[in-house]
Amino acid sequence: MIKLFQRVTSVALVLILTQTAVSATDVKPASLDAEVQDLKGAVLDLNRELFMLEEELLYPANTQIAVFMSMDIGEFFALDSVQLELDGKSVTNYLYTEREVTALHRGGVQQLFLGNLKTGEHELVAIFTGVGPHGRDYRRGATLTFDKQIGAKFVELQISDKASKRQPEFYAREWE
Amino acid sequence: MTKPVAALPAVWLAAGMVACACFGTVAAQNRGVDIRDPHYGEVLFHFYQQDEFTALTHLLVARQAGRVNQHAAEAELLLGGLYLSYGQMEQATQIFDRLLVETADPAVRDRAWYFIGKAHYQRGLYTQADNAFARVAGNLPDALRAEHRMLQAQSLMAQTRFDEAVALLETERSDQDWLAYARFNLGVALVRLDRHAEAARQLDSVGQLNSDDPELLALRDKANLALGFAHLQAQQGKEARAVLGRVRLNGPHANKALLGVGWADILKENYRGALTPWLELSERDLLDSAVQESLLAIPYAFSRIGANGSAAEHYVSAMANFDHEMAGLNAAIDRARSGRMIPALLSRDGKGIGRWYWQLDELPDSDDARYLYHLVANNQFQDGLRSYRDLVALREHLSAWRDKLAAFEHMVETRTLAHSQRMPAIEQRLAGVDSTVLRERRDALVRTLEQVEVSRNVVGLANEIEADQWRRLAALETNAAWESEQAATARDKHRILKGTLLWQLDRDYRYRLWQQRRTITDIEQALVETGDLESRTQFTKLNIPLQFEEYRVRIEALKPRIDAMQAQIDAVLMDQERQLQTVVAEELEKQKQRLASYRMQARFALATIYDQATVVSADSGEPQP
Repeated sequence: MIKLFQRVTSVALVLILTQTAVSATDVKPASLDAEVQDLKGAVLDLNRELFMLEEELLYPANTQIAVFMSMDIGEFFALDSVQLELDGKSVTNYLYTEREVTALHRGGVQQLFLGNLKTGEHELVAIFTGVGPHGRDYRRGATLTFDKQIGAKFVELQISDKASKRQPEFYAREWE
Repeated sequence: MTKPVAALPAVWLAAGMVACACFGTVAAQNRGVDIRDPHYGEVLFHFYQQDEFTALTHLLVARQAGRVNQHAAEAELLLGGLYLSYGQMEQATQIFDRLLVETADPAVRDRAWYFIGKAHYQRGLYTQADNAFARVAGNLPDALRAEHRMLQAQSLMAQTRFDEAVALLETERSDQDWLAYARFNLGVALVRLDRHAEAARQLDSVGQLNSDDPELLALRDKANLALGFAHLQAQQGKEARAVLGRVRLNGPHANKALLGVGWADILKENYRGALTPWLELSERDLLDSAVQESLLAIPYAFSRIGANGSAAEHYVSAMANFDHEMAGLNAAIDRARSGRMIPALLSRDGKGIGRWYWQLDELPDSDDARYLYHLVANNQFQDGLRSYRDLVALREHLSAWRDKLAAFEHMVETRTLAHSQRMPAIEQRLAGVDSTVLRERRDALVRTLEQVEVSRNVVGLANEIEADQWRRLAALETNAAWESEQAATARDKHRILKGTLLWQLDRDYRYRLWQQRRTITDIEQALVETGDLESRTQFTKLNIPLQFEEYRVRIEALKPRIDAMQAQIDAVLMDQERQLQTVVAEELEKQKQRLASYRMQARFALATIYDQATVVSADSGEPQP
């Protein structure tokens, strides 16, 4: 019966090793793989063109306003949502996933809102909701009055930490 | 950093690529760099969520629009990394080559060489990969440096230059995760070459990893499993048991570990001990090869302790189980060949592009789920499935764009109509404003004011009431009775009134002059604005229809491209699906053949037990059933 043992251990070992082999045999023939990659490249080009058309058509540069959201450390505040008002009108109410918050923590910048505005003076109000120090519910606002000229306007909302007070801080400012 | 569960470099290297780009270009630590262009940060936002397709598209657009100029080199490195991850090797290599020409920054150059090496490695061009890796001069960030070492080792292994790979890893003192994968792969390669002691050293170092990372824990289990079975092959039961004991009981490799622990006990002739893990194992899913083998191993152990009755019982039960499972497999093979299994697998799939390994608990709840579970765990199947899922997602993506294009087309039509309706009214309003006449009037006013100023004609700045008073006072002076004796009192009053009026006008002269100048400035400003409005209206009149026409042409041109691409995707999808069906059917066939083989062994073993029983009964003279 030792033969059974040897055969079984061999089979098991082969199964383990084939699953962990250094190089794999591709299931696709090389030509099919190349075809797939070519196609993916072509779709990417097309997607880029479509994306540009969409932006030019819906948010022309002259009237465009983009509001970006970023975090600087953000240890004292666990972000749940941001509500954005422009000239008294609610334009976005965004609820964050854990994945998005992690991306913000890592330095990613979210384009929270993209829209159009006339030239002139405007007011932006951002309400941040989440959990602050000591696990307390937290709701804070940040306001910015800005002048919109012809050309795209970028506004940044930022959550940062005020280490001295161990409190979060919320900013809204024009992106220079 | 994100690495897929399986330690299969050809697959997971690309998945880790973006993370490498991130380490190399964005953040030395977890926190990102100072973002100077918001659109670069926006690309990172998608990138950090592993939404590589969106990150890649947005980066291409931002780059074309000049929105990432302040992150030029980092953006190029990131773009190259994303291209590489998306399977666009040529574009990636072009970017890195260009960076090498354009930059003298050693850190950027090192990263470019590293990525070029990686691209070559992924294409199986190992010599070129070695050369590129050798150009890295030591300016890589720590995390990337570890991966660089790992890839160097992998490349050497792919060329069967195992001694050099061992030497490379032996000199590497870093405990970065990437090296654990390299050590594991090297250990496995050495086992296959029967270089047991060297393999044990590599696998043991991985098998004793201390980590909370689920992927590393899975890797640790695999290392212990491979090492444990290598010990079993070398008849080292005690060592095997110790190593297999490290495998987590709730992990994906627990079944094979339980099987191995049983065999380790058998090597020590502890047959009863072996029954404990095997009986536990026999209750699990029969599609697992370890479970299948336990059904044969259990009666073997029973027979070794003389419990032939139990042994026979378990062989009979095993055969029934094998029969049942083979019937299920036959049906599954039919479904796979008819093309029903792959669409079922994807019925609840998300639409993201460029996703890697599925979480096994996300599989659809269907009859085939348990078969698929085993297939999805298979790296080769995953690799093919990735392309298939990408194509399906791209098809959906293009379909969504097709709908959007229809909306855009409607939008352009509406805007064109609104524009054509609005223009006549605007033109009519502007026609009522003759800016030339206004300019002439402005010029006349300027001339008058200049004369007033030169002659200090204070009356020239009188308001309407004062001018009227001045006219009436002047008229009195021309009256026939003005010089008469009787008008003496009136002349006194006239003198006082005229003097008062002149005094008032003189007193306010400077202020009024300033006021008039300001009025002229305002008029000039208004005239400039009117001119701008006229120009803009003219521009709008001429260009907006052209712009709308340009949009319309672009939309018209994009529609057939989408249609053509969707047709191409459909065709490639069919090929891809056929390939996957073949892989699935072949894999299930193998399972079936293995079960058939086990069934035959069980049958022979059972016959042997009956034979022995017959001989014993004949010897004792007892009647036979």
